[in-house]
Amino acid sequence: MRRAELGMAMFLISEGVFFFLLILACTYFRALPRLYAPYGWILTGLLLASSASMWRKWRWPTIALGTVFLVGLVGTPFALLTAVHGLFVFAGIVALAVAPASGGRAISFYWYFFTAVWLIIFGVAGQI
Amino acid sequence: MTEWLRARDHKRIGVLYMLSALLFFLAGGMEAMVMRAQLAAPNLKLIGPETYNQIFTMHGTTMIFLVAMPVLTGFGVYLTPLMIGANEMALPRLGAISFWLQFVGGVLLYFSFAIGTAPDAGWFSYAPLTEKAFSPGPGLDYWAIALLMIAAASIGSAINLIVTVAMERAPGMTMRLVPMFAWTTLVTSIMIVFALPALAASLVMLLSDRLLHARFFDAAQGGAPLLWQHYFWIFGHPEVYILVLPAFGMISEIIPVFSRKPIFGYPFVATSTVAIAFLSYGVWVHHMFAVALGRNFLAVFAAASMLIAVPTGMKIFSWIATMWGGAIQFTTAMLFAVAFLLEFTVGGLSGVAFAAVPVDWQVTDTYFVVAHIHYVLVGGTVFALLAAVHYWFPKFSGRLLDEKMGRWSFWLIVLGFNTAFFVQHFLGMLGMRRRVYTYPDIAWFGALNLISTVGAGILVFGIFIFLCNVAMSLLFGAKAGEDPWNAWTLEWAAASPPSLQNFAQTPEVRSRRPLWDLKHPEAPDWGQP
Repeated sequence: MRRAELGMAMFLISEGVFFFLLILACTYFRALPRLYAPYGWILTGLLLASSASMWRKWRWPTIALGTVFLVGLVGTPFALLTAVHGLFVFAGIVALAVAPASGGRAISFYWYFFTAVWLIIFGVAGQI
Repeated sequence: MTEWLRARDHKRIGVLYMLSALLFFLAGGMEAMVMRAQLAAPNLKLIGPETYNQIFTMHGTTMIFLVAMPVLTGFGVYLTPLMIGANEMALPRLGAISFWLQFVGGVLLYFSFAIGTAPDAGWFSYAPLTEKAFSPGPGLDYWAIALLMIAAASIGSAINLIVTVAMERAPGMTMRLVPMFAWTTLVTSIMIVFALPALAASLVMLLSDRLLHARFFDAAQGGAPLLWQHYFWIFGHPEVYILVLPAFGMISEIIPVFSRKPIFGYPFVATSTVAIAFLSYGVWVHHMFAVALGRNFLAVFAAASMLIAVPTGMKIFSWIATMWGGAIQFTTAMLFAVAFLLEFTVGGLSGVAFAAVPVDWQVTDTYFVVAHIHYVLVGGTVFALLAAVHYWFPKFSGRLLDEKMGRWSFWLIVLGFNTAFFVQHFLGMLGMRRRVYTYPDIAWFGALNLISTVGAGILVFGIFIFLCNVAMSLLFGAKAGEDPWNAWTLEWAAASPPSLQNFAQTPEVRSRRPLWDLKHPEAPDWGQP
């Protein structure tokens, strides 16, 4: 494992703790996002497709799919979990756009992680 | 100047951390003196209750987040690569970003103070006091945003230190040969990665309550103020060890060198560090014993809190055993290290007392708690830091600190610290609440508070002499040379101060005392059975 990848793994551990505690509190207080039924599936599909694109090392299609996901997220009712997750996806898009190719593997870890976090958020979210 | 602003070299980043910590230490120290002046006599009204609330909040926040954490990070960033035989941190750009994020967070916090809306809910800002209804001003928003920045910065620097220790060690330096300070820095960094996100999650929820009308901590709206306490202390208790473990590492380097003996029981010191880190995540409820949580719940956390004294005691035993039979040299660094053992033990013992639930119920939120935390964080962390400054100053600057001034500052600091804080144990047991801006003229309250204030004045004078010593030694101190203490770890093989590339050639390590091996080829450590 290289330096950047180990560093990213450590960062994702800290993000795992952060989202675990946030999702726990939001679930306990029923402060969960509410997504329109087909809309949520479309957003999930977009993020999964972006991860598949990342797997194939297609940088720009990943950025495009991530951006469409973010734009779609703006159309959902505001919720803390989706807003915070969206900020991290936005940071991932910026990192993908500016990072050198050598950092691609570390960023792919980041992208898969936030796809997984979305799946959990989508799993606990209410449907309208 | 621009070289420093754009610096990525770990030594410069380390110095920047230390300088920013010094700047905020002066601010936090002035706040402490304003509080002690206000409390010097009963019924004094030098400042009002609102100002007092702001000052104790800023003092606690400053000393923990803007002084103790950054200065320990500064030592870690400066020394760890040198100690493990590396020429740079693994992720130098991340190191620079982390420092500046931390510094800007501190400036933002003080900006709120400067415009007269400083936070006023204490350094752990319990809900519902922090809700908009009770703290309508923007001070707490500044506090939360500044702490979010500092949390992100701390995680960044911790990741950098973890990757550095994991991947940049000199050839031959297995984890069993890593210097104890680097060990404690590694464990502390791992703790930061797990603990600081709990603070960040709490702050995000607090901000959403205050700015987005959420209801996490507002009981009237179906929220739970206790959630803040749980999340904050899931971060907050490991934080105590985040502030103390690097101090343990410093002491574990200094005592052996000035006792002229290798550290006693290295594997036990290392494993007890890991044990403390692990246990520290299971004791957070002892900060909440005054909350009705149920007997079984309290019993489990009381037992866990007592258990953590075991690995800590192992370390104290190991340091005493290292000194036992050694040719002890009482330099100023060693004096501070020995004082650390005594002062930290006092703080540790009062900590064990808190683990007994009935004792905690009696003295919770009294001056006994104030005395305890200061014996741990000043008697422990600050005394170890003062020992560390006297020990590593020659490496940082190339010059020796003046020993005569060092001894003066040592005795004044010891006298002032104990005079200021020991009596606070009695004040707490007599029932004086903390965080009150004044108090009635009850028997002993006035006298003990006056003694505490006089002690604080002596402490400030001792620190002033220490700072004068640092300033004068930087200008006029005797040249130190590479290794003025005849020490054993790799940082003493580099020039003083080290060049941009720490080592002309990568050192090879075969024992825990690589410099000893070089100096004593006839009896190297690795040749011992």
